[in-house]
Amino acid sequence: MAILEVEHIQKSFGATRVLDDISFTLEKGKTLSLIGSSGSGKTTLLRCLNFLETPDQGVIRVTGEVLLDMAQPQKQTAALLRKKRLHFGLVFQSFNLFPQYTALENVTLAGSLLARERPDYREHKKDILAELEAQAMDLLTQMGLRDRAERYPHQLSGGQCQRVAIARALALHPDILCFDEPTSALDPELTGEVLRVIRELAERETTMMIVTHEMAFARDVADTVIFMDDGKICEQGDPREVFDHPKEERTRQFLARYRQER
Amino acid sequence: MKKLLSVLLAAAMLLTLTAAFAEDSDLAYVEGKGTLVVGITDFAPMDYKNEAGEWIGFDADMAKAFADSLGVKVEFVEIDWDNKVLELNGKTIDCVWNGMTLTDEVKAAMSCSNAYANNAQVVILPADKAAQYADVAALSGLTFAVEAGSAGEAEVKALSYATTAVSTQADSLMEVAAGTSDAAVIDALMAAAMVGEGTGYANLTYTFSLNSEEYGVGFRTGSDLTEALNAFFAGAYADGSMMGVAETYGVQAAIIPQA
Amino acid sequence: MEQILQQMPIVIGALNTGFLQTLKLFFVTLLGALPLGLVIALGSMSRSLVISLFTRTIVWIVRGSPLMIQLLIIYYFPGLVLHTPIWGGGESGRFLAASVAFILNYACYFSEIYRGGIQGIPRGQDEAGLVLGMTPRQIFFHVKLLQMIKAIVPPISNEIMTLVKDTSLSRIIALQEIIWAGQSFLKGSQGISGAIWPLFFTAVYYLVWNGIMTIVLGRVEKRLNYFR
Repeated sequence: MAILEVEHIQKSFGATRVLDDISFTLEKGKTLSLIGSSGSGKTTLLRCLNFLETPDQGVIRVTGEVLLDMAQPQKQTAALLRKKRLHFGLVFQSFNLFPQYTALENVTLAGSLLARERPDYREHKKDILAELEAQAMDLLTQMGLRDRAERYPHQLSGGQCQRVAIARALALHPDILCFDEPTSALDPELTGEVLRVIRELAERETTMMIVTHEMAFARDVADTVIFMDDGKICEQGDPREVFDHPKEERTRQFLARYRQER
Repeated sequence: MKKLLSVLLAAAMLLTLTAAFAEDSDLAYVEGKGTLVVGITDFAPMDYKNEAGEWIGFDADMAKAFADSLGVKVEFVEIDWDNKVLELNGKTIDCVWNGMTLTDEVKAAMSCSNAYANNAQVVILPADKAAQYADVAALSGLTFAVEAGSAGEAEVKALSYATTAVSTQADSLMEVAAGTSDAAVIDALMAAAMVGEGTGYANLTYTFSLNSEEYGVGFRTGSDLTEALNAFFAGAYADGSMMGVAETYGVQAAIIPQA
Repeated sequence: MEQILQQMPIVIGALNTGFLQTLKLFFVTLLGALPLGLVIALGSMSRSLVISLFTRTIVWIVRGSPLMIQLLIIYYFPGLVLHTPIWGGGESGRFLAASVAFILNYACYFSEIYRGGIQGIPRGQDEAGLVLGMTPRQIFFHVKLLQMIKAIVPPISNEIMTLVKDTSLSRIIALQEIIWAGQSFLKGSQGISGAIWPLFFTAVYYLVWNGIMTIVLGRVEKRLNYFR
């Protein structure tokens, strides 16, 4: 069964339609790449899934549970919204780490705040926090940042920051981890370390959606690729098919332009 | 600033005027709270602090005696002289008792007691230059430091001589001492205490009197405390206690007989 | 010179008393205005138009008019207009009225600094907090507050230095702070009259105090330098 089902999402900013009838599904443990030129709506789609934007129409389901159905708008209480958000994790283009916390604290902060709502929090506070910290250390180790745990973001390189951000998102065990152009803000020599980490996550069957301009990476790591153009899904399918034998003229043009720029 | 203040003052007075008339007896108000709050400034020999930090002086001692006669306590509060009407009408003080010259402006803004002492506005000059000026007309070229809004300022302006306004009479003495103004005009009673041999301004002296004037005590407009004080003054003059206090502070020559 | 040495103990005693009043007003103002400023800042950024318009109007009035006038209004108007002199005529009443005026005035200045500090924090910090399931409250207190404090320490320091000197304005309602104490020896007080030097000497107190403040606030700034 698909872990994520998106149906007929529509979103306009004023008179401009940014997302037009977007529908797709994603299987558990698979990686989906979203490609397309700037302004094609990829980022807005990710932001809709993370409830940073509200679509005008459409349905979002995760493991069969309806998270959003604009045909039956219900009052979104803040608490409910928070719960729904936790199905998704989001890694930003510009990392958005919290500058006043160490790498480790960045990873544990949200979890420790959520833990306060547990009924046994007062009783087992120490144990709970120790467990969160141990888990965060594991994640940082997995990101190759064990020796950087006590550093502050400004003491880390861009690539290291982005890996902390990935660990931070993973710490809440999201069903689907989203990446919004995770390497676009990095110097070229630093993109490799971030891509390597994402590749490892793919190998461990983490369910992921990646907006990226790294075509070779998208082709290589993704199980499905979606090419978006002008707010619509223009073409989707197996990456080898889409990249090597695009069916749509627009996809062909986009890929050709991309290869030229290289 | 001064202009803004006077606008504020005018507005405040307008607002209070109606209410002031409608107000119950001011005497009953003071008796009710048990304290007569006397607005003063540090002004020897009328109101000033002794070494123990208590307020003494001719006015202070008379105010204490007046409060005693009403059976209430007295509280002295130092105020900014510019704001005396505000303080009165805002009921933060009950009277102004501080060697206050009874000018037309004062009489219009407050209910004033009978005059109890004579005063004059005198010209202050550096001691070494005083001999150069034979009469008031000879002073015409000089610049006078005067307290803004004071009786002294009014006198100098009436002569059309140049003035520099400062915020206190003491400041005007500093102006002359520092040479930033040629002369100053202040109260005679104050000049006697502050200028000349044995004072902080030994190299200044006071010469001509520009006018003669009288001191009185100010209450809120329409206050019945004014009558009570006039009656008290008459009694204190008759039994000699008023002159007794005056002699303590060396102002007996200035006291006006009360009846 | 000899005369000054004789006057010294009396004058210093009076100046100390006055400066104590100055410091009292200084600390009470900070204690009240620093938190109140935050409330006003949040009010002016409120999504409710009524609340934000209301607070912004108050901020405009308070910042747009002289503190001296505010002192006069707050102290004298209750008695003048309402015929209830709520502050009373004594020293403590004058101090209370001055405190209210200073707290309100400085809270409005602080609120604008806070607002700049809050709005200067990148939107991405909010979004990162939201996608991590934090409540807006948690985002404010655990993510943005310290960043905001770091951003506002230098401008707040400036205001604090100004505050020390501004306290002298309270002499308009006859609060006897240090300048009043210094000036009293000009007119004559405690047997000293016509003494000019005490008034000028008050500047030494301000200089010393602002020197201490510079060091303390510099330390605070340095302590927040561990992140960027």
